[in-house]
Formats: sequence, structure tokens, C-alpha cells
Amino acid sequence: MFSFELLLDAVVIGVLLGCFYAAVSLGLSISFGLLDVPHVAHPAFLVLASYAVYFLNEHYGVDPLLAGLLITPLFFLFGLVAYRLYYETFEKRGSDAGVRGIAFFFGIAFIIEVLIILLFGVDQRSVTADYVGKAWRLGDMRIPFRLVVAFVVAAALTILLTLYLSRTFMGRAIRAVAQDQEALRLMGANPIRIKQWAFGIATAVLGIAGALLIIVAPVEPTLDRTYIGRTFCVVVMAGLGSMSGTLVAAIILGVAEAIVLTLFGASWAPAISFAMLLGVLAVRPQGLFGRRS
Amino acid sequence: MALSLAIRDLDAGYGAVKALRGVSLHVESGETVALLGTNGNGKSTLMKCVAGLVRPERGSLILTIDGTAHDLAKLSAEAIVDLGVAMVPEGRRLFPKLTVLENLMLGAFRKAARQNIDRNLALAFETFPALKGLQKQLAGTMSGGQQQMLAIARALMSSPRLLLIDEPSVGLSPLLVSQTISKIGELNHNLGLTVLMAEQNFNQTIRIADRGYIIVHGEIVVAADSVDELKGNDIVKRLYLGGIV
Repeated sequence: MFSFELLLDAVVIGVLLGCFYAAVSLGLSISFGLLDVPHVAHPAFLVLASYAVYFLNEHYGVDPLLAGLLITPLFFLFGLVAYRLYYETFEKRGSDAGVRGIAFFFGIAFIIEVLIILLFGVDQRSVTADYVGKAWRLGDMRIPFRLVVAFVVAAALTILLTLYLSRTFMGRAIRAVAQDQEALRLMGANPIRIKQWAFGIATAVLGIAGALLIIVAPVEPTLDRTYIGRTFCVVVMAGLGSMSGTLVAAIILGVAEAIVLTLFGASWAPAISFAMLLGVLAVRPQGLFGRRS
Repeated sequence: MALSLAIRDLDAGYGAVKALRGVSLHVESGETVALLGTNGNGKSTLMKCVAGLVRPERGSLILTIDGTAHDLAKLSAEAIVDLGVAMVPEGRRLFPKLTVLENLMLGAFRKAARQNIDRNLALAFETFPALKGLQKQLAGTMSGGQQQMLAIARALMSSPRLLLIDEPSVGLSPLLVSQTISKIGELNHNLGLTVLMAEQNFNQTIRIADRGYIIVHGEIVVAADSVDELKGNDIVKRLYLGGIV
């Protein structure tokens, strides 16, 4: 049953799958990793983006990736509004904001699920594009083209966000805001506005990520529940707030899932992310690439 | 360039706790003014009021620049930075997971400050040459002395005219305290910076101060027009010079 070819196959698919996981986790790496917002509605936002892409593809024949780019500005605005709502109702009130914030975002996630069911029904939805069904053949190996698209987009997003966070004034302020808000005010930066902007960017990234989600596989309204484990696992494993760490952690998760899937069957795959999340929290809570300070 | 800060009858506090009661003091162009007092007497609260981090309950904070008066009690912390006020907070408050260079760049966050970034960066390295070789190091991994240099250098990045320094000596060895205080004196002399410095270390502070105030339980108990007057004051003798009068 076990063979070297099978393992190699699993690793290659795992790396590509991992890149896709990185693309859907990068936003959370900003909102949870850098801003300390307990954003459990992140995967629900992601699935919402997928349905927006589905809508544009189904009714107007827009290419899924282009549709993802088109909804990005809308998701940016959505993020600005969502953060302001969270800030005014929860974060502003003080120290137990974290716990109550989780309740807030769970609520938002369920509202989004219901909204999607009302608008699109409970059936699976998918998109059509030239690259969705095709595959590359490398010897005996079959590499789905849609995963290669995910790989390229994830790499590009990681590089863009890393540059933005390290080279721009706003990016540096975003990385500083969770470290010391009062000190940031002394620099003449308003921490609330910085966080709102960052949350907007974290949500905007989901436009493209949502396109990838529906390109990689069909979506259904409750798909976000599977991705809570995956995205939080990746962000915590990466060490909160590191973009390149997010890419590496996502690849580790992707490879682990692919190997377990090959050896033990598909029913085990969803348990991997939570097992790894618990493992990381127990052994190395600062994450693989997190630095103690 | 003429600049002056006039604080009158300032009350401030946190809820029921009154940290400042009827505080009045003034700082004139080019001066180094010391605000002396031990822990918990309101020094930091006063500094935070000037920087816009704490809103006073009563009284006025007027910053006059070239004849134009600005009421700092009504301005946001951002607007106060734009007026040329920078603060080196107590405990330095660096961004520990960012590099030295990134910390400095954040000091130039305001649009107006970004235009002078090259000049100010050169000035920061000229003032603290040791920082030049540490640009890529994480601020949190540096020694206390290096962190204090970085905190002052970061404040210089916004092209300030009034520098507020809150307890620069905390957590430093006596030698480093002496060096840091001397450096602040140099900034005042060489750059013409007006300095308001809160400190506990009396003997070090009077080396560079032109005059000073003593704050006890949120009230100014001594306002001395010279260092000699400070040294001769009975309250100062009792509090700082070891004599039980």
C-alpha cells in the first residue's frame, strides 16, 4: 500500500495545497496575528468572497481571479466597517474584549452563513474557467492546474504583504500597534485608525483568497467551519504576525494533511489542523518563527 | 524661533484619583527646565497632559510658537506632534519586535516629518553614533543604555522644537545616567531644543537644568528660578540632599 511514489505525490500536492492555505490565512495573520482581534469570522468572510466570485462568474462570465480582484475594494470597505463596529461595541470597553469579541465574530459568522443560504441555497457552487479542470502531467504525477494558480497567487500575496508591512510607514505602524498603542500615539499615529486600516487590508486580501477557494474546490455555505481550524492553526504555528512564517506554516500543514490523507484516508484530514494547533500551543506557543521578546 | 509653554492651574486625574492639583509652570525658548519629584507625584501625568495622552480636567496648556497660541488641552496627540512637541516616555516604550531603523522611521510617521527623514536620520546617528551599527537589531534585544539612546533618537525624528523627557535615568547604571543627561544637555545646546525633563535624580538633573520645579502629591511646592535657588531650598535639602531638616 505504501510506496515512495505515493509519498512524493503527497508531498508535492501538499506543498501546493499549503500555498493555498497560506493565501486564505494571510488576512488572519494580520487581523489576529498583528492586531490581536479574535477574528473567528475570518473563514466566513472568505466563503462570502467565494460566493461573490461565484455570482460574478455565473451571471456575467467574469474570470474567477479577475472577479476576486474586482471585489477586493468592496471587501476593504467591508473590513473598515466591520472593525469600527467591533471597536465601538467591544474593544473600546476594556480588558475582557477578547472573550466577548469571539462571541461577536461567531455571531457575524453565523449571520453570513444564513445570508448565503438565503441568497444561494445550500447546494455546492463552483466556477468555470479554463484552468479549473486541467492538470499537468509530470511522469506519473498529475498536478492540478488550479493548485498551481493558488501557488503563484499565494507567493505573490506573501511578497506583497511582507513588503507593505516592512517598507511603508503604514505597514510599520500596523506591526507596532499591538506592541505599544500609547507609544504609537506619541509618534502621532492614531492606533484605532491604524487598526481599522489594517483590518481593511486583512479583509481585502480575502477577495483574492475567496476566488482561490472556489477555484480549488466547490464551496458550500458552512465551509467556513472547516477553515477555522486550518487558518488559526497556520497563523499560530507561524508565530503571530509573520507573513513569510505564514507561508511556511501553511506548507507544513498542507504536506501533513496530504500525507495523512494518503496513508489513513480522507476522514482524518480535518483533525490534522486542530491536532497541530494544540501541539504548537503546548510545545512552542510563540510559534515556529515567532520571536520571544 | 520663539516658543514657550505656559501651564496654568492644571487639574488632572484618573477617575477619583487626582494626580495633579492646580499645577502652574512655564518653559521658555531654549531652556532646559527640570520637573523633580519622586515616584507617584504626578510627573508623568503632567508630561502626558502636554503630549495630549491625558486630558486635563481643568486649567490651560498654552504652547506659543512665533506669537501664535495653541491650546494643547483641545488638540489631539497627533496635532501636538505636528506642532513640534516630541516625548521620550518613561520606560522608553520602544517597539521591541521592530528593528532600530524601523523604530526610528516610526518616529517620522507624520506627513510633515517624512519630508525631513534623511536629515533627521543623519542627525540621529550623529548624536548617537552607536546606533548606526545596530540598525537591523531588534529594539527589545538591546541593552538599557542603547534603548534609551534609541528612545531619544526616535523622538528627534519628528523634528521637534520642544522635547519632553520623562525619567531618562530609570533602570540605567550611574555611568549611563550621567552620559544620557549630558547628551540631553548637548541637544539643548547644539540644536537649540527646548527641554522639559521629569527626573528623580536631583544631582544629575541640575548639571544641565536652567531652573526647576519640585512636585509633591500633584502640587508644585517649589518653583526655583535658578539651580542655585533649587540647591538652597529647604524642601530640596530635605527631599534630595539627605539632610533631615
